[in-house]
Amino acid sequence: MVSRVRPSVEDLIGIEHCKLGFYQELRQKLVELQVANLESEERRREIAAILDGITDIMMVLSEDLRIMSVNHVFEEVMGIDDAQGRYCYEVFRQEQRPCPECPAHRSFVTGDVCRETAIFRVGGRNRQFEMVASPINDQGKDERRILIFKRDVTMEKEYQAKFYQAEKMATVGMLAAGVAHEVNNPLASISGFAEGIKRRLGRLEATAGPDLDDIHDYVDTILKECSRCRDIVHTLLTFSRPVSSGFRPVSLNAVVEDTLKLLRSHIKQKNLRLNMVLELSDELPLIYGDEPQLKQVLLNLLINAIDAVDQTGAGQGVITIRTYPEAEEGAGLVVSDTGCGIPKENLDKLFEPFFTTKPVGKGIGIGLSTCYGIVSEHCGEIIVHSESGRGSRFIVRLPSNQGS
Amino acid sequence: MNVTKFAIPEIIFGRGSMVHVGQCARRLGARRVFLVSDEGLEKSGWVERVQTILEAESLEWVYYGDVNSNPRDWQVSHGAKLYLETGADVILAIGGGSPIDAAKGIAILAGNGGSIADYEGANRIERPLPPTIFLPTTAGSGSDISQFCIITDVERQLKMSIISRSLVPNISIIDPLILLTKSQELIIASAIDALAHAVESYVSRIASPFTEIQALRAIELIMRNLRHAVEDRDLDALEQLSIASTAAGMSFSNAGLGAGHALAHSLGGMFDILHGLVHPILLPAVMRFNTPACQEKMGAIGRLVVGRADMPSRLAAEAGIEVLREYFADLGVPVRLRDILPDRSPLAQLAGASAGDACNLTNPRQADVESLLGICEEAW
Repeated sequence: MVSRVRPSVEDLIGIEHCKLGFYQELRQKLVELQVANLESEERRREIAAILDGITDIMMVLSEDLRIMSVNHVFEEVMGIDDAQGRYCYEVFRQEQRPCPECPAHRSFVTGDVCRETAIFRVGGRNRQFEMVASPINDQGKDERRILIFKRDVTMEKEYQAKFYQAEKMATVGMLAAGVAHEVNNPLASISGFAEGIKRRLGRLEATAGPDLDDIHDYVDTILKECSRCRDIVHTLLTFSRPVSSGFRPVSLNAVVEDTLKLLRSHIKQKNLRLNMVLELSDELPLIYGDEPQLKQVLLNLLINAIDAVDQTGAGQGVITIRTYPEAEEGAGLVVSDTGCGIPKENLDKLFEPFFTTKPVGKGIGIGLSTCYGIVSEHCGEIIVHSESGRGSRFIVRLPSNQGS
Repeated sequence: MNVTKFAIPEIIFGRGSMVHVGQCARRLGARRVFLVSDEGLEKSGWVERVQTILEAESLEWVYYGDVNSNPRDWQVSHGAKLYLETGADVILAIGGGSPIDAAKGIAILAGNGGSIADYEGANRIERPLPPTIFLPTTAGSGSDISQFCIITDVERQLKMSIISRSLVPNISIIDPLILLTKSQELIIASAIDALAHAVESYVSRIASPFTEIQALRAIELIMRNLRHAVEDRDLDALEQLSIASTAAGMSFSNAGLGAGHALAHSLGGMFDILHGLVHPILLPAVMRFNTPACQEKMGAIGRLVVGRADMPSRLAAEAGIEVLREYFADLGVPVRLRDILPDRSPLAQLAGASAGDACNLTNPRQADVESLLGICEEAW
């Protein structure tokens, strides 16, 4: 101990000792830092590459829903490169305040991962996104942040809707074919026997009394109704054809008339005092399209309109179907009603597959999404105007599609 | 002649030079300065003055004022803990030997870790220290220049000498204006401490031409100016004392000291006596003991003290010691060991502890326990 602490005269002179500098240590630190920097740069690049590989929109939001950072997919999809610092709802919805269904907001409140699907209008098209909001746990930072993934599921939902429609059409088609078969034969017999009666009436006229005029009327009525039944069966069969029966020249007016035939009994059954107003244009050009599919569109719109009117409870209302020539040889179809209308917050979701306001068992919510799909395939568009409590107006605009 | 070495810090000297402390700290890379001082300096307002200068330079500071005379080992470790906790950088001390030595201790622990006792002895510091700037407020300790750091080991009741070139600060700022606020007693005690530094290092076994000239210069300036400085508070005289103290510091830092400081360290460790008060008592006795080994040099000192250039060395040496003794008595400070230590029984223990002190190594005449006891007896 004593020898450890007891210095010598040489120690005091300390020729070989000098004030310790930082240089050596600094140089060593520099090298270490350079190595560490290289490593972290490499790691950063790797993480960046992984992030770039993600095909979903990714963004980080602050607590007040400001966009803090985004990935390159965001910029590609949204076509915006200055999103940072702007509010999320401003970018996606052009709104002034957060959307009520916002999963980021819920995630901030609950601290859990939250999911939601919503439709945004991106680049003039409605696109459906599946959103996942997860809180970022960063101990070093005071402010809380949320990581949002938005996956474009428009295609998937469209295919899903088409699948349901195809399935439904197949069922309807099978039923229709069956009905056609079953109804056609008795119809043929009824029709045949009626013809027979009609033929024999000539001979009976000479011999029998004066009541034959009535029988003439009866037989004519039977034959007329038989032919009407045949038409209905025929119309049913057009629905039962495969979805892509092919594009051919179609008159929208004929589509309206045919569809109304199918609906007549539905209206009667519901015992509605409906005022159905038809304003069919005489100068409507033929458009090139798929007739059964267009009928499907109109059928859906009309059923919705009837339900909307029905929901007002008054049991009375006006449904107007109007056709008109569109600019540049297209045609337009408008279905308006004086029904319950659509609440503003639902307007964006109308065409979303499986979105429905109807009670369970009344509809699965693919009607309008199917319409949307069909009209899109015809390169047309559906526009909705609606006011809650005052009715809705659906406008289907279809180009002529000639040459396509 | 043997190989020698001479190391001193950057020295900024002059009235009002304190204003440069901020720039100096900044130049050493400061953002948050660790400021060490003591209660006395706080009361006199100098700590606040330094803080104002640092603020003017937009520097943050962390203040550590828990230091008393003869700084304790635990005060050093507390300070180092605070230094590391607060993320301070440059260490700045303003004060006499105590805050400066405490700051040195803090710097050692901040840069090297461990406990301060690990570094007792010479050249045991292995890693660099934080940059240091010292502002001495007494013209005496020389701690702001030296490679020495004296810390009291409370448990062992002794003063540890820590010697390392790393303890020479980066910058020493010496502002004689500060001396104006010092008490008469403190000015005397400091000046005599400086005088003891000069005398002991002049006759040291490892003195060199570079230290000798500083030592002689210091002795001359102190003898010529002390009375004037004390009686009239004359600023010029105080400034000369400052220069003398700094010169003595340069000398002893490189040439070492002797038996006088070895004894003073033990006395301080055992009885917590103000360091400067010990030298008027011990110095004449130590000089007398050493004269046989360095008669020529003692003669040179004597000629300076007496003020006669023509005296032969043997005579001058004796006359010088006598004049000094009278001079000290004249200043009204204790000159007998019994004045501060009424009981003579611990003298043997004192001598034993002193023999191992690093300062004893460079004493010109071999001083064993018996000789040291003899010196004490004479001084008693």
